[in-house]
Amino acid sequence: MNDKTIITEADLNAYVDGELPPAEQAEIEAYLADHPADRERVAAWRDQEATLRALYGHVAEETAPARLSPHRIAMERRRNFSRAAMAIAASLVLVLLGGTGGWIGRGLVTPDASQMTLVSEAEAAHALYTPEVLHPVEVNGEDGAHLTKWLSKRLDRSLSIPDLSSEGFSLVGGRLLPAAGSAAALLMYENRDGARVTLYVVPKSGQETAMHFSTGDGLTAVSWQAETLGCVLVGNLPRETLLKLAKTSYGSLDSGSNA
Amino acid sequence: MSSFLDDIETLVPALRRYARALTRNADQADDLVQDCLERAIAKQSLWRPIGPVRPWLFKIMINLHRNDRRRRRSAPEYEALDVLPFEPASPATQGARLALAETAAALDRLPAEQREALLLVALEGMSYAEAAGVLDIPTGTLMSRIGRAREALRTMVDGTGPRLRSVK
Repeated sequence: MNDKTIITEADLNAYVDGELPPAEQAEIEAYLADHPADRERVAAWRDQEATLRALYGHVAEETAPARLSPHRIAMERRRNFSRAAMAIAASLVLVLLGGTGGWIGRGLVTPDASQMTLVSEAEAAHALYTPEVLHPVEVNGEDGAHLTKWLSKRLDRSLSIPDLSSEGFSLVGGRLLPAAGSAAALLMYENRDGARVTLYVVPKSGQETAMHFSTGDGLTAVSWQAETLGCVLVGNLPRETLLKLAKTSYGSLDSGSNA
Repeated sequence: MSSFLDDIETLVPALRRYARALTRNADQADDLVQDCLERAIAKQSLWRPIGPVRPWLFKIMINLHRNDRRRRRSAPEYEALDVLPFEPASPATQGARLALAETAAALDRLPAEQREALLLVALEGMSYAEAAGVLDIPTGTLMSRIGRAREALRTMVDGTGPRLRSVK
């Protein structure tokens, strides 16, 4: 900005948004006086902003519907809490009963799941369950011991469920899913901002591999093969964050096979 | 507890405004705000925000909206977009109404990440630092998204029809 001839588009944007200190603000004004094209551009941006406010500003002036009252939501939440607790208890019983019955489709012959099949299954599971508000998981993360025991039994591996709290993610819970040739466990984690990641795990032996990234449809997947498990971590987060989460998971997930 | 609820209550109008601009559908917008509030209230005991509540709530809402969009993409359905989100209160000229509708439609054609960024700054009046925090991106990335959004809108709106600007 000291060099008067170099005024970037970023400077102009910052000027429009009032992000510049007064001295630079004045510098831009002087520049705009001599540059009609940029002056025009800045004026157009300001018009856009005025138009946006004309379009949507009135919404904030309206009285919000009663269902959006935080006090009311909190009250209903307290009222429903006992009912919900009973429903969860009932569904746990169902899950346990279902657990002894085996799952449908087990006998179907399916081709060996390649890494890519694994990743696309994991992405589909992520896309299906993360938007769920009421029933994102079958077994709640608070019931960690039960979850570990149940999933270990169904996957025939001694799993230890990764603790990602060092990265700010707490366990929402898990569910069991059919997968090509086996069952899969889906573990869901959430951070304080409501961003969810899922860890998809299938029993699969093979050579340990490095971590692979794949990206598509706004989701990033990190997949790897541990000693006895195929694992895919899926989320809509920066790669570095996912990689950190994947490494933490890798370290704790596979505490050895049952075999 | 109740001061937390009071805090978020003061933010409901802004959340509704932002949600309306994101979804351009009044019912869908209020559903989104309701989900966001329920999520925030359910989480507050576990994750009582350390810093200010506003960026936290917007972050939750944007995450929910992204999840929702992904779900809608995999299960497409008809949804009515409000062509004009309201009857202008003041008798507007045909031209001004057209300008509003045109901008609303152009906004809809922006990539989601640019729309999210531009609306935080231009509509909600957030500073670059706050908006970058909400979106979890560096300030430089935020600035480039806003810059691209503005230029794209300008091309879309200016490219067709007459100049829509009223002289100030």
